[in-house]
Amino acid sequence: MQDVFIGFTSITWKMLVMYGIGGILIWLAIKKQYEPMLLLPIGFGAILVNLPLSIAWEHEGVPGFLRILYDAGIANELFPLLIFIAVGAMIDFGPLFRNPLMIFFGAAAQFGIFATMIMATLLGFDLKTAASIGIIGAADGPTAIYVANKFARDYLAPISVAAYSYMSLVPIIQPPVIRLLTTKEERRIHMPLHEKQSPQWLRILFPILVTMTAGIVAPISVPLVGSLMFGNLIRESGVVERLSQIAQNELAYLVTLLLGITIGGSMSAEKFLNWNTMLIMAMGLVAFIFDTAGGVLFAKMVNLFLPRERKINPMIGACGISAFPMSARVVQKMASEEERGNIILMQAIGANVSGQLGSILAGGLVLALVPLLVK
Amino acid sequence: MTEFIETLRSASATVQAIAVSVGGLIGVFATLAFFFMMIVVADRFGKR
Repeated sequence: MQDVFIGFTSITWKMLVMYGIGGILIWLAIKKQYEPMLLLPIGFGAILVNLPLSIAWEHEGVPGFLRILYDAGIANELFPLLIFIAVGAMIDFGPLFRNPLMIFFGAAAQFGIFATMIMATLLGFDLKTAASIGIIGAADGPTAIYVANKFARDYLAPISVAAYSYMSLVPIIQPPVIRLLTTKEERRIHMPLHEKQSPQWLRILFPILVTMTAGIVAPISVPLVGSLMFGNLIRESGVVERLSQIAQNELAYLVTLLLGITIGGSMSAEKFLNWNTMLIMAMGLVAFIFDTAGGVLFAKMVNLFLPRERKINPMIGACGISAFPMSARVVQKMASEEERGNIILMQAIGANVSGQLGSILAGGLVLALVPLLVK
Repeated sequence: MTEFIETLRSASATVQAIAVSVGGLIGVFATLAFFFMMIVVADRFGKR
């Protein structure tokens, strides 16, 4: 008789909490429209995997569909790389070519990764786990998944959820940090718009040279950089428009769907509900705050050396995080609120696409440097 | 260099994290600086 009601008798309070967390993610996706393409499947996956007996994950030693997807796309890092091809096909480096100085904000805004990594070690995490937590600050879901999968597989779920949740919360996280670190006068700085078009040969050569350079500097970053730049090459070559469209649409949507539900599927109550998850979520937020601060303060420092007419609006620094194009939109909105007609969107996009480059390079360097110190 | 890495291997996790941070930030800045030079040179070359 007990077998008939096994579904009821197997429910634990932890499962109920996970239904609540899944419900909150679904609510954020539908009601608040925060990254709905990801939070919706993650939320549903979290509910699915925590149903009694976890049939969707594994039953009597036989893998369920979530486990099959996990092994096929997360454990071997395929899904993040496919997402990168799609993202590469969406990125236009044109605004960066028009304002090449913006590239340095893509480096400065990675500060949060490293500050959070140091903080995580102070809280007792080992170097590999700390590095995986820090990578939440890359503001780049696929990179976070890729690094966590290599260094801290047990924490993959909270790290992925933190990365995607905070990316969707960029419009809430960044403005107060920017306001705190800048004066009204600084936020009103106008920046001249460069209208020049970059030649096609540069657009084609750039992804190839970036891949080769990254491959020499940090060979382990090649899958990350290579897939991103392959997507971009498809876009910029101009001869495979259909492939570019498929990468930007069908591939992006399909893999995002599978990635989301699989990440949700890895959120089993026993793995997810613990003190470390809370710490990881908190440190993820800290990473985003430090990223923003790092970018803004770097812009203010650069301004010390620039003549008055060439000063940079320091809000641009905050766009050096990889959350593309949300961060650029947030900063443009803030600039417009400070002064109507102040258009800094192109420069902000330039910094934002640099952030994409900076985050995968940071991820690659962490992947290269950490194993030198810890076996 | 090998000696330095050996010393770091026996250091605390925080010291190792600081070393990775310094190396990582320098690496990201240097690589992006190289891309910056590439774009600037290409721009100059394109104008000719």
